[in-house]
Amino acid sequence: MSGSDERTVKSLRELPPALAPGRDLWPEIEARLGASPGVSTARQSAAAARARAASVRWLAAAAMVACVAVGVWVGRDLVPVGAPGAAPVPTASGTTSATPLSEGAAVDAAYVSDPRYRHQRAELMKSVQARLEAMPEPARAKVAASLAAIETAKKDLESALGKDPSNALLQELLINTYQDEMRVLTDVHEIGDPSRGI
Amino acid sequence: MQAQMKDGRVDWEGGLVQRAAAGDSRAFERLYREHSGRVYGLCLRLTRDAHLAEDCTQDTFINAWKALPQFETRSSLATWLHRIAVNVSLGKRRKSSPVFEPEPEDDEGGLGDWALETPVEVRELETAIGELPDGARDALVLHALYGYSHGEAAQMLGIAVGTCKAQLHRARKLLRERLKMEVN
Repeated sequence: MSGSDERTVKSLRELPPALAPGRDLWPEIEARLGASPGVSTARQSAAAARARAASVRWLAAAAMVACVAVGVWVGRDLVPVGAPGAAPVPTASGTTSATPLSEGAAVDAAYVSDPRYRHQRAELMKSVQARLEAMPEPARAKVAASLAAIETAKKDLESALGKDPSNALLQELLINTYQDEMRVLTDVHEIGDPSRGI
Repeated sequence: MQAQMKDGRVDWEGGLVQRAAAGDSRAFERLYREHSGRVYGLCLRLTRDAHLAEDCTQDTFINAWKALPQFETRSSLATWLHRIAVNVSLGKRRKSSPVFEPEPEDDEGGLGDWALETPVEVRELETAIGELPDGARDALVLHALYGYSHGEAAQMLGIAVGTCKAQLHRARKLLRERLKMEVN
């Protein structure tokens, strides 16, 4: 025992918890850290795997947005466009669409003008903007382009509904698009959460 | 270095842990310098062999380096290192001298502040502790010297809390006999 200290103590708790080893142990530890290739390699592999996983997740989100947008575009092409409507309807971006829409369609899409929905969407958009800035450039460009595509598709659907307000398929597509957009925004928001390791 | 605020204080250790976990061996060396004395002291008291304690200390830090990416920064690094040190020390001790030691029955006598009736030289006290049976010494070192609760010490040693208390009771009794004084 290296407790060569001759001082006295009145309790076991006064014994020093730290003792000095007879030699410096660090050089051997350092040599073993460097000599164990598995350690640094595994650490680098883990970091690379995390980076790959992050990249894949971003690309998956971008692909999901693109799929939804394409689906909406296809739907727009398939559905016949009817007569023009009358009333304006708020778009998902919170502004009022320039395209007139009938009262019936406005009722069907009424949830998009719900203040709770608009508040939640505005919050998500703010967060997603911040996430986009932190993304790698290629992924950011893809997500931004996809979000722009889905926005355009929404406007087209609203426009088509303005011409054919009673078209149930168009109404359903529009509602689905809003829901998909929220889902995508939520996904991007969650994927970019720093606490999740991205 | 990236420092963080913790309880109003700058948490340099948290930054060092993050850097070490990312593979920075210089940051890990600073953590080693900060904690090696307590880790070595613990290993030495558990193994009673300076060379074995040095090996245990080195293995503790090697194991810590490997496991650092999994370390939860919310918990105490010292406690985490001590857990590793206890595992390494008990493992090496079992290999070097496997001794069957019957577990004492549960007892509540392990409480108290470990005050001595009269002052004792550190060397004499360390010798008395070193002569205790392994189980009693393990519990005493973790609880009385390193300040771990009965539950924490029991968990580190892989024994029941009642057994840990019984070992402390036994340690107190044996110390009393060897030091020829009350250990309260």
